[in-house]
Amino acid sequence: MGDSQYSFSLTTFSPSGKLVQIEHALTAVGSGQTSLGIKAANGVVIATEKKLPSILVDETSVQKIQILTPNIGVVYSGMGPDSRVLVRKSRKQAEQYFRLYKEPIPVTQLVRETATVMQEFTQSGGVRPFGVSLLVAGYDDKGPQLYQVDPSGSYFSWKASAMGKNVSNAKTFLEKRYDEETELDDAVHTAILTLKEGFEGQISGKNIEIGVIDNDKIFRILTPSEIEDYLNEVA
Amino acid sequence: MSRGSGGGYDRHITIFSPEGRLYQVEYAFKAVKAAGITSIGVRGADSVCVVTQKKVPDKLLDQTSVTHLFPITKYLGLLATGMTADARTLVQQARNEAAEFRFRYGYEMPVDSLARWIADKSQVYTQHAYMRPLGVVAMILGIDEEKGPQLFKCDPAGHFFGHKATSAGGKEQEAINFLEKKMKNDPAFSYEETVQTAVSALQSVLQEDFKASEIEVGVVRKEDPLFKVLSTEEIDEHLTAISERD
Repeated sequence: MGDSQYSFSLTTFSPSGKLVQIEHALTAVGSGQTSLGIKAANGVVIATEKKLPSILVDETSVQKIQILTPNIGVVYSGMGPDSRVLVRKSRKQAEQYFRLYKEPIPVTQLVRETATVMQEFTQSGGVRPFGVSLLVAGYDDKGPQLYQVDPSGSYFSWKASAMGKNVSNAKTFLEKRYDEETELDDAVHTAILTLKEGFEGQISGKNIEIGVIDNDKIFRILTPSEIEDYLNEVA
Repeated sequence: MSRGSGGGYDRHITIFSPEGRLYQVEYAFKAVKAAGITSIGVRGADSVCVVTQKKVPDKLLDQTSVTHLFPITKYLGLLATGMTADARTLVQQARNEAAEFRFRYGYEMPVDSLARWIADKSQVYTQHAYMRPLGVVAMILGIDEEKGPQLFKCDPAGHFFGHKATSAGGKEQEAINFLEKKMKNDPAFSYEETVQTAVSALQSVLQEDFKASEIEVGVVRKEDPLFKVLSTEEIDEHLTAISERD
């Protein structure tokens, strides 16, 4: 891809055996807005801060949580423009799978293909790695699943995870509160409380986003008023 | 040949710096400011107005050829702040894309679609080493069939947002502070109020009163969704209204 003048990889090994561009990409993710996901017994919830650079920005024009297929959703931490590329590629891959096999793509397959794209950008010529980590939430025949994909292209399945600025506090909080038997509603409350921990300013339905999928296997993004209802229950 | 960070290349092409930043993108933002022009866009209840400085550096230049305000289609306008040459190539590609969209799908390209397309193209330049990011911030305006008046801003990093009001260029931050105060309570500006807010914001931030020939103004209105560049006479009317109001 790209000009032949750049057919060498920009991500190369340092003398200590590290791929420093990937490490820098992870640093970029670590300075992004906090996002998290929790896998409940009957569903998955993902959530993120939505801090906009000015009150002049129309918050209805921004949506960080995206739907990849009717039963798979994704949120990112890091560089927004990079995430758009991955969302577009993933949606296309899901459609191609469906066209070939006439059944919805399993969550693991979609995650694997997205991760492969991310890995390719760490090895191909003339490109830099993606500056995002993704949290993919889905519900298929294997039940509710939550995956985190990093700029290196490595992915793991998580019971609960967080990424971005407040990652260590958020993960500690989640470790204390996580319970495998949690129902989705309680998981949403836990997600909100975790976001609240590191939130600067007043949390409201307009500066966070929450996406859920329960055993009807339809991924839904909550409206600001639904989020406000949950916030009132939690306060 | 040493490459990657440590080779100091993080400042020359868009690869990550050790802090996880993209210096080339940040320098592109600086290039936008260095152009020395400030632009402002304001979205009203049923109209959108963008205004920018018109600096003609040489008296021998043909003033009519100096412009930063470009129609993309009959209904979509683009105000480019920053490097003029980069702006022209962006406008050319945007015009092509909007025309193809109309042909392919049978309806006019909506504002947010064009903004997203421009932003995605800008993102590619931040990830591929063979092309540098463009030194342009683009403000797109138009009337959306379902959502009404829309104002989007796209930057060299590939970000794009819808705005109630925004600014770009040398005095961007001062202008945004001014506009935040004006738009704090979500006012629903009429067409005249929209234009006057935009023009008076520019005047206040640059601390000078303009003549009609020193600024460019572009508008779209719900009742007349064609993108229009105001003539000097029309600009004069608004300038007079502003000075009478004060």
